[in-house]
Amino acid sequence: MQQILNGIVVGSVYGLFSLGFTLLFGVNHIMNMAHGSVFMWGAFAGLYATSILELPIAVALIVGMVAGGLISVALDFFAFRPLRRRGAPEFSAIVSSIGADLILLALAQKVSNTAVMRFPFDAFPVVVLSIFGLRIQLLQMVIVALVVIMVFGLVFYLYRTSFGLQIRSVAYSEQTSRLLGINPGPINMQVFFISGALAGMAGVLIGLVFNSVHFAMGEPLLMRAFVIIILGGLGSIPGALIAGLVIGLVQTLSVAYISSGVSEAIVFLTLFVVIVFRPTGLFGQSTAAMRIQRT
Amino acid sequence: MMNFFYTYQSLFDHILVNALLAMSQYVVLRAGVFSLGSAGFAALGAYCTAILITAQAWPPVAAIAAGTVLGTTASALLALPLARLRGVFQAVATLAFVQIVLSATQNWESLTHGALGINGIPHVAGTATLLGVVVVVVLLLVTMGRFGLGRAMDVIREDEMVAVSLGISVPYIQRFAFILSGALAGMAGGLHATSSYAITPNDYGFGLLVAALAMVVLGGRTSVWGALVGAVVLISLPELFRVFADYRNVVQGILLMTVIIYLPRGVADTLISMLRDRRLRHEVVPEKP
Repeated sequence: MQQILNGIVVGSVYGLFSLGFTLLFGVNHIMNMAHGSVFMWGAFAGLYATSILELPIAVALIVGMVAGGLISVALDFFAFRPLRRRGAPEFSAIVSSIGADLILLALAQKVSNTAVMRFPFDAFPVVVLSIFGLRIQLLQMVIVALVVIMVFGLVFYLYRTSFGLQIRSVAYSEQTSRLLGINPGPINMQVFFISGALAGMAGVLIGLVFNSVHFAMGEPLLMRAFVIIILGGLGSIPGALIAGLVIGLVQTLSVAYISSGVSEAIVFLTLFVVIVFRPTGLFGQSTAAMRIQRT
Repeated sequence: MMNFFYTYQSLFDHILVNALLAMSQYVVLRAGVFSLGSAGFAALGAYCTAILITAQAWPPVAAIAAGTVLGTTASALLALPLARLRGVFQAVATLAFVQIVLSATQNWESLTHGALGINGIPHVAGTATLLGVVVVVVLLLVTMGRFGLGRAMDVIREDEMVAVSLGISVPYIQRFAFILSGALAGMAGGLHATSSYAITPNDYGFGLLVAALAMVVLGGRTSVWGALVGAVVLISLPELFRVFADYRNVVQGILLMTVIIYLPRGVADTLISMLRDRRLRHEVVPEKP
């Protein structure tokens, strides 16, 4: 039971991270390989805000989100926009974001001196509640609540506001929305900001849960996010959330009861099987775009 | 001259092994298959070779051949499901394959010694051997590129629809390219194991995948020379600029981004086509009255 609870907490943060990743793919058809570094820089920003500036943790969370969002917008500006303007194939976007990822990683390594950093001990009050014999930390409850709030906020934003309508129309067709008088530039910037902010928030939260922040924390999460968004169907928001929870649970349970190495292998074998037999994911619906049109 | 050579011999070996890997990546990209699997096949080849030599006392040549065969077999098996996928999905599927191989090498401790890797592999692949292998492979690939196979690959990469309408069997050519890539990567892995004394799982992870991709993107993916130039530049650059050793990845990242944005065809390919244009112009000019 205890492990299931931990799995849900970790899984919901995975879901949060993958949400931004899948949103980018849904709108811009980009696999942002630098998303893991945005996440890591969000965690860095939150950590420095608490440890150096001694801000309260709630403010640090917002600092992390803003930092993640800004880095993500900068990525759009330097790595993706020139390619989009030229109408380059998706291959170029992946390569250019790998380049950006290398830069962000190397800078983080330099800034942190390759050290593993920790949040100050009293950054978040350690309160343990026990409900029905389960030990639940206040932090875990806050995280799940935050994720739920963010998800509802995002869904509201995308489906109930005019900004969301614009984003969805750009996702449907950039050409058509331009004809309708929507400028895709700012819309893309918005999407990148949201996606980066979600990653930054996930960064601070993961940093708090495991109480360790280091420059290489992004890569394993990015790999897992691949699994999650493929499993949930590319561009699908509920899919990303559910798959995030599933992967979080599978991982925590297999680490607890089998071994951590096996858990990695299970996760990637799942990805491989899903992508080969059902590339649209378990919750995806459109098949035509994913397969090669070949008869 | 000889002094210079001895000082940089290990660097030279490193370039040659990486050139093989770059060519493995080049073959698939040329045929329009977006595979990132080379690092995984190299890991299979390297571990197969190392284990056969150290644990089973096979002769090195047979062990390297076995590594190559393993890489080929793995890619032949992987090619079947991969043919059904498109661009990004091929990339993610092969990425998953690399991760599976990586976690197998890290956790199957009875066979691979886990994170410690395999030590004490005899150094049998010297510079001359490596150079010979690279030259043979380059010649093979150049010859292949000159004939129908290379043309068919170019057409598929540029426009699959046109390729189909020309009667080119796209799945057949792509499968061939993928299997060839697996064989080259397996051989590169085997040669890496026998030229570097020790191997660890992290030699063949995400870093190698990025390096292989970077070399081909930097050099260009329509000619073999692109892969070669990419390997030479990317491997020797950090050695030449030791001062900036800390910023090695920054330089690599900036290079990747600027090349893909401003020189999307890669350095070598852009140069080659510039030279060709110039030659054509020279040939045309005298004919004018």
